[in-house]
Amino acid sequence: MARDGFATRLYTGEANINIIGRRKLWFSIAAVLVLLSIGSFAINRFHLGIEFAGGTSFSIPAETGDRTLTQAEASEAVERAIKAVDPAAEIGAAQQVGLTGGDQRFTVRASALTAQQAEQAKAALVEDLGVPASEISDDQVSAAWGGQVTRQAMLGLVIFLVLVMVYLVVRFEWRMAVAAVSSLVLDLILTAGIYSFVGFEVTPSTVIGFLTILGYSLYDVVVVFDKVQENTRGITAGSTRTYTEATNLAVNQTLMRSINTSLVALLPVGGLLFIGAGLLGAGTLKDLGLVLFVGMGLGVICSILFAAPVLTVLKEREPRIKAHTARVLARRAAVRSGDVAPRPERTGRNANATDSDEEAPALASSAPRPGSRPTGKRNTNRGGRPGGAGPRPSGGNKRR
Amino acid sequence: MHPGRQLAVLGAIFVVLYLLVFFTGGASGSFTDRLHPKLGLDLVGGTQATYIASVQGGQVPSKESMEQAREIIDQRVNALGVSEAEVVIQGDRNIVVSLAGKADDQLKDLSQAAQMRFRLLIGTTGDVSSVALNPPSAQPSAAPTGSGAPSAPASAPASGVPAATNGPSSGGQGGGEVVKAPAPTPTPTPTPSASAAPVSAEEQAKLDDVKEKVGAAAWAAAEKLTAPVDLSSDPNAGKPFASFAKLNGTEVAALPAKMQFNVPTISCKQLDDRPNGAIDDVKTEAAVCYQSAKVLLDKAEVVGDDISKASPQIEQQSGQWVVSLDFKSEGSAKWAALTRKAFEATSSDPCFVAAQALYGQVDHCAVAVVLDKTVVSAPQIQGVLSGTSQITGQFNSASAKQLADQLNFGALPVTFTSGPAQTVSATLGIQQLQAGLLAAGIGMALVAIYSFFYYRLLGTVIILSLILSGLLTFGALVFLGRSMGFTLTLAGIAGFIVSLGVAADSFVIYFERLKDEIHDGRSPRSAVPRAWARARRTIISANAITILAAVVLYVVSVGAVQGFAFALGLATVLDLLVVFLFRHPIMTMFARTKAFLSPRVSGLGRVLRSTSTDAKEA
Repeated sequence: MARDGFATRLYTGEANINIIGRRKLWFSIAAVLVLLSIGSFAINRFHLGIEFAGGTSFSIPAETGDRTLTQAEASEAVERAIKAVDPAAEIGAAQQVGLTGGDQRFTVRASALTAQQAEQAKAALVEDLGVPASEISDDQVSAAWGGQVTRQAMLGLVIFLVLVMVYLVVRFEWRMAVAAVSSLVLDLILTAGIYSFVGFEVTPSTVIGFLTILGYSLYDVVVVFDKVQENTRGITAGSTRTYTEATNLAVNQTLMRSINTSLVALLPVGGLLFIGAGLLGAGTLKDLGLVLFVGMGLGVICSILFAAPVLTVLKEREPRIKAHTARVLARRAAVRSGDVAPRPERTGRNANATDSDEEAPALASSAPRPGSRPTGKRNTNRGGRPGGAGPRPSGGNKRR
Repeated sequence: MHPGRQLAVLGAIFVVLYLLVFFTGGASGSFTDRLHPKLGLDLVGGTQATYIASVQGGQVPSKESMEQAREIIDQRVNALGVSEAEVVIQGDRNIVVSLAGKADDQLKDLSQAAQMRFRLLIGTTGDVSSVALNPPSAQPSAAPTGSGAPSAPASAPASGVPAATNGPSSGGQGGGEVVKAPAPTPTPTPTPSASAAPVSAEEQAKLDDVKEKVGAAAWAAAEKLTAPVDLSSDPNAGKPFASFAKLNGTEVAALPAKMQFNVPTISCKQLDDRPNGAIDDVKTEAAVCYQSAKVLLDKAEVVGDDISKASPQIEQQSGQWVVSLDFKSEGSAKWAALTRKAFEATSSDPCFVAAQALYGQVDHCAVAVVLDKTVVSAPQIQGVLSGTSQITGQFNSASAKQLADQLNFGALPVTFTSGPAQTVSATLGIQQLQAGLLAAGIGMALVAIYSFFYYRLLGTVIILSLILSGLLTFGALVFLGRSMGFTLTLAGIAGFIVSLGVAADSFVIYFERLKDEIHDGRSPRSAVPRAWARARRTIISANAITILAAVVLYVVSVGAVQGFAFALGLATVLDLLVVFLFRHPIMTMFARTKAFLSPRVSGLGRVLRSTSTDAKEA
């Protein structure tokens, strides 16, 4: 029943998970992960694919004396020969050059081999296929993905970050822009960190998938911040809720949305990954599916657990909000000590809980309290109270 | 707007798109043939060509120059369209280029040497064809000064950054309407020794063949010419040279430059038909067409190799696009010498007369920027230039970038000879494509199951609009593949699969909003427009960011990333289209039905039932 109740509350946006209150925990986790990632960049580097690092290309004739090779046979023969020399080498797909006419050849690209290794592999191929050594050629090939592509992509990334910052400042405010972009950067660093740490191969598809995360990760943050903005509009006029609490409420209200959006977006990606890795083993689909899965998953988590908390930290430094928070806390303390008559909560969300025959027991069992809001708030306040409780000016009294 | 009208707009877009798919952009074959998007190298294979670097003396070109050449060729390939080509260096001196589909013609152009030359403009005469079109009675000397000649000299920049003002905009042969066939200028032949370059036996043989073809009389007459024949004053003056009009490009190229220029019957078309590299020789003069006029250019004093970098820039004072040039140290000295010659020329200098004939009122001589056999631009020189110089003119961002690219291409230190183009098979092949489509199917099915489970009947709206945006995307792919060479690779297909998921996202935002509104006590009918108004804001913000990412990456990046950015932008724009023109009107209509109110149907049931008195947020 409790599980059901939680699901229902999640569904109606009343999960009341104290996310912002535990922000120190999230920040610590984020800091540790970023340090690990950077450490991994330095130590493990990235495992670059043939397209980035260049490699060795073998060219073999399609006609080997008595028979004609198929694309798969050519690929397998080269793979056998190269694996014997260097078990760690990557083998690319075979490509048939010259589809018509007698002079058909297969080229197979593999990761870079030393001249000696290439010579050995060539000898193995000669023996395996029974073609004269002069018919088989091996060449060093450069990266297909030049340094310039990466440079320009990075330049694009930087320009995008600057522009999106400007956009978010105009659309929201600078604090939200900072929080959103820092969450995006965190997402990118962690995704790259996972790649470096696990040693997944980085291919052009990976880079393209990585860039896709850009838009998606911010998409999530924008959804959350949009709600935060709505919840906190004119918040300083009242004194029932601090900015931080309102943000936490917004995160809770959009929690279902975040989970839904990410699920819906991750489902096709999961399909890609399943097909790419499960059925085909390796290749473009797997590379893309993997980087998107990791990046989008992290993106959702970052937008909930990192972007919103960063926003509250920045907001609490704003004098207006600071004063407001102090006032709310003072008023609350006053209510508790009986100075002021408590006002009914007007959140619009918890009053209806008892009206539903389905939800009432669920709520009761998981949190035996009259309304769900106060408990959540008390939790949230723990961090901020010392500062706010000190002066105890009767700001709340003045207002009413 | 009335929901029906929005649906009608969408329907119209749909119809137009598929009309484009079936009937434009070189569509051919049966109806099913016309529905094939242009698939990438990895899926259907393509054409491969090998370019072999040749350096004088037969030594191996340096690694750096090969990498530089690779990047330049890569850029050129990418300039062909949004296709994802592959360019790799193989061995020491080969560059292998692979392109999707049958692309022999495109590959041919890539091996062009792209030799950049800077030559002083020393003579101008009308093109034979334009003289034929414009009878001699037309006042030929009325070269317009207003729009044709460079307006206010842009040599204002402070801090000694000199500018070479560009002539009328785009350059090439397109500017004919601005400067009409100018009056032939009595060009005194400069140093006769210039044309007395040593001639090899092979060239001599070619020349003899041409001599035979035009006939001895015509040849003798042509050799006697010291200045271009003025057909406008005497229409019959061209008669002795009639046989020259029959020469083809190769034969014209064998003639001395002075003769190509002077003989009035050699047309611009013949000059344009000359083989590549016909005027690459830096030691000889060159005749070439510029703005429908034949111009004679001096020996090349500065070549592309002297440029260290060219880049498109916006000039801060005028806000106009210019191309900024940086020269290498020795190139800088040569450039200064050339521009001094042009700048300090007096009105009697041949180059001055020629510039005047071309532009009307001028103060200084012009230097032609020649790429291969085309004059890219011929700016008047406004100062003795050394170091960074600018070419100003009526550029836009694209043409400035193009010129800068060409200048950079010109700096290529290695020349290539091209091997035969060969077809290559796909690297991944059709089974990967099928796997990708299967993945798409699975992804769609999962999204469908999820949305039906979660949103009940509203799931239908999601599925319908996903199918709709799928169809729109497919149509756009087919059309763009034909019209601008947009190539669909496996990565692109995967990208579109992902974008379907993201498209479904915007539904979640909308429906969750709807749920909120109903939760707050609104009737479904009034909740729909309210939820729409709010969700719209969020959806636009979120999609604007994605479009921003796509545009920035498309503009800045090259190669595969550019193709990806294009796909991302396309998918997002189509998503917005479907959201605004399909989902919203459908929901509006849906909200008017009774079924919408039924919790079982709309999936808003639990919210609906738990809604009570309500309290709105302050």
